[in-house]
Amino acid sequence: MLQLLLAATWLMDGMLQYQSFMYTKAFGQMIGGTAAGNPGIIARSISWNAAVVEHHLVLLNTVFATIQLLLGLGIAYRRTVRLALAASIAWSLAVWWFGEGLGGVLSGRASPVSGGPGAVILYALLAVLLWPAGRPGATAPSVAFRAVGAPVARLVWLVLWGSLAYFALTPANRAPQALHDIIVSMTGGEPGWVTGLEKHAAAVLAHQGLTASIVLAVALIAIAVGMFLPPPLARNALILALVVAAFIWVFGEAFGQILAGGATDPNSAPLLALLALAYWPLATAGPRARRPQADSPPAMTVGRPEETFG
Amino acid sequence: MSTPAWILEIFAAVMLLVAEVSAGQLVIARAWTRRGSAGADIAVSDLLMGIGMAGILVPGLSTLPNAVWEVVFAVMTAWFVWCLWRESRGRGAAAVARGHYAPHLVHSAAMLYMFAALAGPSVEGSGMSMSGTGGMSGMAGGSSGGMPTPHASTLALIFALLLIAFTVHDLDRPAGVDGYFHVVGRRPVPAGSALAAAAAGPVALRQPTQADAPETAPRADPAAYTAERLLLSPALVKGCQVAIGVIMAFILIIMI
Repeated sequence: MLQLLLAATWLMDGMLQYQSFMYTKAFGQMIGGTAAGNPGIIARSISWNAAVVEHHLVLLNTVFATIQLLLGLGIAYRRTVRLALAASIAWSLAVWWFGEGLGGVLSGRASPVSGGPGAVILYALLAVLLWPAGRPGATAPSVAFRAVGAPVARLVWLVLWGSLAYFALTPANRAPQALHDIIVSMTGGEPGWVTGLEKHAAAVLAHQGLTASIVLAVALIAIAVGMFLPPPLARNALILALVVAAFIWVFGEAFGQILAGGATDPNSAPLLALLALAYWPLATAGPRARRPQADSPPAMTVGRPEETFG
Repeated sequence: MSTPAWILEIFAAVMLLVAEVSAGQLVIARAWTRRGSAGADIAVSDLLMGIGMAGILVPGLSTLPNAVWEVVFAVMTAWFVWCLWRESRGRGAAAVARGHYAPHLVHSAAMLYMFAALAGPSVEGSGMSMSGTGGMSGMAGGSSGGMPTPHASTLALIFALLLIAFTVHDLDRPAGVDGYFHVVGRRPVPAGSALAAAAAGPVALRQPTQADAPETAPRADPAAYTAERLLLSPALVKGCQVAIGVIMAFILIIMI
């Protein structure tokens, strides 16, 4: 199920990449803009990539869109899931560097509210955590734990959410109008009801940047350490992660700005939610679980069986 | 600059291929007979969607006015609503979502939405041009600025998300399971033949009866036999469903 959600997200990315906006010079300029603030060697590589894209815009953008479309189809199709997941890792890392400027991590511009540290790096992380289990039927506390083992999975979780907490508290993000400005910047080209939501949220957060950043950072730290707590508390941390992701997607990312017509992906929040689901405790083999219930699906499937279907 | 015309033409060609396959399936299944009528609604729907979407993508392939297409897909939508209701009544909302006809209902409703949105009033500055050749056909039919309203663009996204969900679900499912990928694929075929294996998928076919005798007799024409085997292959039917879902979602995303 989680692999299919990842596949759906890649499919969506591929389709968004075919939009008219991506065939304008603005796309190349958008890539080039991510070079600012990065160390010289990284900035130069991003600028080089932006120049190449601008010169071969139609060809390269079509290739980019098709690759993402194929990644989505490949992950959804059982025969090709491993190949597609592996390819998605390589593709994500390349895009994170050359297309997103490492998500602003090194430039100090990353904000968890606006998609930092880059949505595309989360695709790579998810591909690792959702890698098909080698031993069907083996038990594990969660999908993520099964893929990489509990210690590594917990460490990944801690680093990710801990880094989000850190980014929430950087000077650029705790400025009085920082959150307000981020949210207002999302309103361009959006339908009226989205603009209304954003403007309302921006008004609430006006001049409250420091307070909001501290509240957000505390929530993110609670999520980060929650994975190391006993199961009931860990589950609460996961619920908090889902709630925070939902708030970020609606108010900070304006649904990935998909409705504005110039988005390359749904942004980071849906992927953060998918990540939280990958850590969701699997149903244990208790007395109830042993009784087969034909009408109800399992609470969470670890991975899809490896049968080959035509 | 906008989405290049040649990309739209490639997708239009795929849709025409889907329409052709669906027409072939209707002929092979002898949809006009009582036995072949099972699942014919789905094949007819795919046929119409293939033609309709090709016309949306490439102006030169437009066959009917948008208003006619709206009526056609309104009827298809109503038909699948009725089929879904009949199939899942008394079994709860989950049964509706998992219903055999649910994806076809979404496909038909999305087509209805697309033609309605393309024929609707333009909203200044609400979007970008859709095609390098003066707009998709619905728009080229006179209103190159026939963008959906902002409210409708939200609906376009909802339809696109539903279509993507059904598409990945289709891809993940075994081809031919549960008769989902065209009931025509379950038409009686010569027992033990390669066609039987191809058409059956994981679902066992019923054994041919005396009444099937004329149909189950070995064919004398190898070419026709090969064509039948190919067109009724669950993998091809599955491929058509995926192609419809992907390209329809693509059109909706481009419309936003």
